Amino acid sequence: MKHRMSRAGCAAIAVLAVVFGVVFLASESVAGQGFWPKDTPMLPMYKQWASIKAKLPPYDPPRTPDGVPDFQGFWGGAGGDEQLNVEGQEVMLDIASPPQESSIADPPNQKVPYLPWARAQFLEHLKGLGRGWPTDEVPKGHPRSHLHSRQLCIPAVTRQIVDGGQEIVQKPGLFIILSNNDWYRVVYTDGRPHTSPHARSWFGSSRGYWEGDTLVIEFTNQNALGWIDYSGNFYTEDARLIERWRLADHNTIDYELTVDDPKTFTQPWKMNFPKRRAGSGPVGRPLPPRGGPSPGVPGVAGLTSNGPTEGLPPVKDAYASETWEHACFEGNHQNLIGNHDIGYRWFRGVKPPE
Amino acid sequence: MRRWSLGMMFGLIVVVAGSPTPIVGQTPSAETTYTPPRTSDGHPDIQGTWQVLNAAHWDLEGATARLGVPTGHGWVDGGTGTIPYQPWALAKKKENFAKRAELGGWSGDPEAKCLVGGVPRMTYMGPFQIIQQADKVTFLYQYRRFLRRVYMNGNSHPEGPIEFWMGDSRGRWEGNTLVIDVVHFNDKTWFDRAGNFHSEELHVIERYTPTTPYHMLYEATIEDPKVFTRPWKISMPLYKLQGREAELMEYRCDAYLLDQEWDKPNSTYFQER
Repeated sequence: MKHRMSRAGCAAIAVLAVVFGVVFLASESVAGQGFWPKDTPMLPMYKQWASIKAKLPPYDPPRTPDGVPDFQGFWGGAGGDEQLNVEGQEVMLDIASPPQESSIADPPNQKVPYLPWARAQFLEHLKGLGRGWPTDEVPKGHPRSHLHSRQLCIPAVTRQIVDGGQEIVQKPGLFIILSNNDWYRVVYTDGRPHTSPHARSWFGSSRGYWEGDTLVIEFTNQNALGWIDYSGNFYTEDARLIERWRLADHNTIDYELTVDDPKTFTQPWKMNFPKRRAGSGPVGRPLPPRGGPSPGVPGVAGLTSNGPTEGLPPVKDAYASETWEHACFEGNHQNLIGNHDIGYRWFRGVKPPE
Repeated sequence: MRRWSLGMMFGLIVVVAGSPTPIVGQTPSAETTYTPPRTSDGHPDIQGTWQVLNAAHWDLEGATARLGVPTGHGWVDGGTGTIPYQPWALAKKKENFAKRAELGGWSGDPEAKCLVGGVPRMTYMGPFQIIQQADKVTFLYQYRRFLRRVYMNGNSHPEGPIEFWMGDSRGRWEGNTLVIDVVHFNDKTWFDRAGNFHSEELHVIERYTPTTPYHMLYEATIEDPKVFTRPWKISMPLYKLQGREAELMEYRCDAYLLDQEWDKPNSTYFQER
């Protein structure tokens, strides 16, 4: 299972690979190396998920002892992999950037409904990333932009919720996410009010309540210092974020995030994508019979966070179900130095014009 | 240094806020007749948010007062003890103290660089929340939003060499006491802000014993044949946080350090390590 890999440092390697990717692509301009084949299927975000979801029968989830839907267990990431750009990526990127659908369910054009100033701000972020992407202007002398905070080992909630490698633990009044990457999130579901509006932080204040079998989380007090994805999509401190977590079947969470930030967007907008139980394979594709041939996964097998384990030799390692320390910040100093010294800027958030 | 000033203030706030409350004066004892509630697995239920109310983070041996630093009670071997360093190691500890504010390289206090605190230091660096499951007990620390999984699944320590910041933790219940055996450390963490340190051969045996519904006794036996002449022990009470203050808040120290240092032309933080 994935957890054994993280013990061996594969999670660290994955993060380092992304950081190195940024450093190398920026400094060496190796665009063109290791691109994905043209026929690579897109990772299923909103569009495929909406079509699969419409055909699913109603699901009566198992319950915890206090009677709420039981989400507990290990979960993979959005649609099958990482969230590079919530607006989707149709072009072939570098090897760490598989093509994927837009995650946006509303508005119907599946683009972030930025106000003009905010779209310009986003494009500034994107231009400066230096990943060899088509919009990348770093080699042409554009000043380097900001890195996503995760590449500096700082988790921020919106980027993290789409990550794979998370265990959900439920206790009366608590919905807890334990990450394989050494962070946690505690969502209170006991009806308590949010923390003081003067107390802003990376993970802010999360308060959940149940609407039927859906956990609705109001996420406030965030500092808006983290991007939504690796491409620089953002919101401000004023954003009101509402998450909806629902079990669509035993192995799938139907996840929604609504962003309301009137000084930045023309309308509230919504992301919707599946999160899959670890080891259960990609959404919408049947698992192979045990020992049978793998149907493959979207993108490159082995890179996606929830590739099928059925059909693979059973893991005999007694530690396979354990998650070991990752300590990204501690082991990442050379990359911090590298990113600092080639001129990436520290992101201090975005304020709407007066 | 701005960070140290904030740390000093925090230390003072803890001491000042703690002192007038009568419950703080109670000294829990392991010789307790208290029977804690049980989890559905039948083990003692020690879930909740816990915190020390003391100055151990400044200096486990007690500290001589200076600006911003109160004297502490001392927590080594019953409170009056001295950490039994080998001669070379005592010299190293003094050097550590002198260089404690350095940001570059590996000398200096790991806390000043916002690194993970290690064991037992994370226990007295701020509040932490305990979550119990069938296979493990997970410690969620407010500092750095870091977590530590203590496996209770019967697995022994994996074969080394492995160097974790928080070590590899294997737990078991002895009566009402959670006993955790921790090995596979790196040599980068300290025990406190006074430069007390260890090597990668550190072995910590922690004991968490609930003594009332609101207290636990925390004990840690510390062995390291490369650094100390004999094992030594610290002990201190943990207090269970109540009401809204039982919610862990956030101190993403590393983010604020990077924010402070990123644009400084000659920051030593970005030196090679």
